[in-house]
Amino acid sequence: MGGVLAASPPPPAAGSSASPGLTVPPGFGMPSVSTVVPPAESPLPNPGAFDECHRRCKEVFPLQMEGVRVVVNKGLSNHFQVNHSVLLSTTGDSSYRFGATFVGSKQTGPAEFFPVMVGDMDNSGSLNAQIIHQVTSRVRSKLAFQTQQQKFVNWQGDAEFRGEDFTATVTLGNPDVLAGSGIVVAHYLQSVTPALALGGELVYHRRPGEEGSVTSLVGRYTGDNYVATVTLGSAGAHASYYHKANDQLQVGVEFEASARMQDTSVSFGYQLDVPKANLVFKGSVDSNWVVGATLEKKLLPLPLSLLLCSFLNHQKNKVQCGFGITVG
Amino acid sequence: MGSVLALSSSPGHHKWPFSTEPPPSRWDVHPAHWDSPPRWERRDGRLPNPGSFHSLHRSCKDVFPHQIEGVKMIVNKTLSSFFKVSHTLHLSAVSPSYYRFHVEHLQSDDYSKDKDAPALIGEMDSSGSLNAHALLHLSERVRARTVFQTQQSQFVTWQFETEYRGSDFTAAVTVANPDILRESVILVAHFLQSVSSGLVLGGELVYHRGRAEEGGILTLAGQYSRPNWVVTLNAGKGGAHVSYYHRANKQIQVGVEFEASTRTQETTTSFGYQMELPEANMVFRGMINSRCIIGGVLEKRLTPLPATLIMGAFVNHRGDKLQVGLGVNVG
Repeated sequence: MGGVLAASPPPPAAGSSASPGLTVPPGFGMPSVSTVVPPAESPLPNPGAFDECHRRCKEVFPLQMEGVRVVVNKGLSNHFQVNHSVLLSTTGDSSYRFGATFVGSKQTGPAEFFPVMVGDMDNSGSLNAQIIHQVTSRVRSKLAFQTQQQKFVNWQGDAEFRGEDFTATVTLGNPDVLAGSGIVVAHYLQSVTPALALGGELVYHRRPGEEGSVTSLVGRYTGDNYVATVTLGSAGAHASYYHKANDQLQVGVEFEASARMQDTSVSFGYQLDVPKANLVFKGSVDSNWVVGATLEKKLLPLPLSLLLCSFLNHQKNKVQCGFGITVG
Repeated sequence: MGSVLALSSSPGHHKWPFSTEPPPSRWDVHPAHWDSPPRWERRDGRLPNPGSFHSLHRSCKDVFPHQIEGVKMIVNKTLSSFFKVSHTLHLSAVSPSYYRFHVEHLQSDDYSKDKDAPALIGEMDSSGSLNAHALLHLSERVRARTVFQTQQSQFVTWQFETEYRGSDFTAAVTVANPDILRESVILVAHFLQSVSSGLVLGGELVYHRGRAEEGGILTLAGQYSRPNWVVTLNAGKGGAHVSYYHRANKQIQVGVEFEASTRTQETTTSFGYQMELPEANMVFRGMINSRCIIGGVLEKRLTPLPATLIMGAFVNHRGDKLQVGLGVNVG
């Protein structure tokens, strides 16, 4: 910055404030403001998708499961994968779920292929379907459908535009022309500095008779080994902090406040990776007096993965434990 | 069936395997056929002692998995060769969670590997329930056992048993829950006689007396053993209990059990198997029932840690209920 200017002698008396009678030796005056364009700054990175802001912290926390689950994954070809999952539940209904994933051949990144079509069907007839496609080099679009047995519960489409240093997404959820209802969500996330990303979300929902909107602001700061994200809005606040202590230990702290339910909760979670033992352990402690842990172990040389999970709710004095086997 | 507990009010075998009976006491373990010289190999022509009446069906029952539910952690600590202590913490979804403290004191450490050793055993629950057993060897042939069980502050079982082990027979008399104030008592007499090298015959006479009623039940028992299998039969007015135990090879043991009770008017057939994989430090027990109950329990020793991981699940297809359990035994 200013390298070019320092080499040339300053124009005499043009911008210097030397007192009368003193001549300024060359090179010691104030450089003048010139119209030379400063060299371009290093480009700001794309901040990623809006939904991914809190994702890194959430991934550290264990997922609660109960009962016995058996998942069999079968890859039929490079493009097609099928999975069967049987869940025997202690509390609810047991279910069998069949899922299929199709990955197309249009490659956009090192491991990203489009279009991606994911669908799964329950034994009671509930369907989940998603189609993700990269329409142009910057626009990615997604369609998602969800049914509860034969009734459609969720149908939404969204389009995401990734600019140089910003991401904008528009989602249209459950549009119903006949009833005149729907939800429109607009996201915008901008990289302000290489570490800081700011953005906002606007949700507009409309039903016959009433309409309303909710806005919230998002800020995310990424450090060397930590990520701090804050979401503030009229519906509540959500703050999360993710810290990678070393190769084996990752820690996440989350704070959620909801204006609608009028309560707050704080969670602390950690993930311990022991690659030599093929083991991943996740634990969490909550302000709702819920303590939970998940242990996942790959049983080499078999292509099996064993998952043990246990959650304890001290306030209600309930314990839920489950285990699962994933084959393939 | 054939046991004092079936007549008393504590949960008994008729609700097994979903019952909460305490684990079998040290005195009830069946002498394994391949540890001590089997009876058909005795050279001196004398018939061996048939063991105790309670352990007739034990080799078959050991094959079946024990019901496991919730999360259980057991820490065993051996304080000396006489003294063992264990702490159990059970977090359960269906029954109240508890902490249990268990103490075993052996009278002498000569028999530290023997299951029949004289010992004092006590167990105390976090709700105050006590379980106390005293096993004494009064002389070389006479043994005495005392059992006290309380449910919080109320005594549920108090029984006194004396057993005489002759050269080829066993005779035992048990006085259970004698209550002078209520004039009630249960008297049980057992007799087992080795008839030939593989055959044991015997009987059980139960006499119970309450204020308003009294009655007696006679049950005959027979057991035939061969090197690889054992078949046991109990038959009487209260019902029948047949069990067949087969050891297929060093790794697989199979048991089939049939129980019929005239009191509850129902019969149950169970099939169970036990698979041991010593190279993988693993034992798997599975069972399937005529009541549409399927269960399996896997136990794995996590060497080099002195810990054992236990995972089990029981499914009752008829009632559509699933029970999942995880346990860790340390030490």
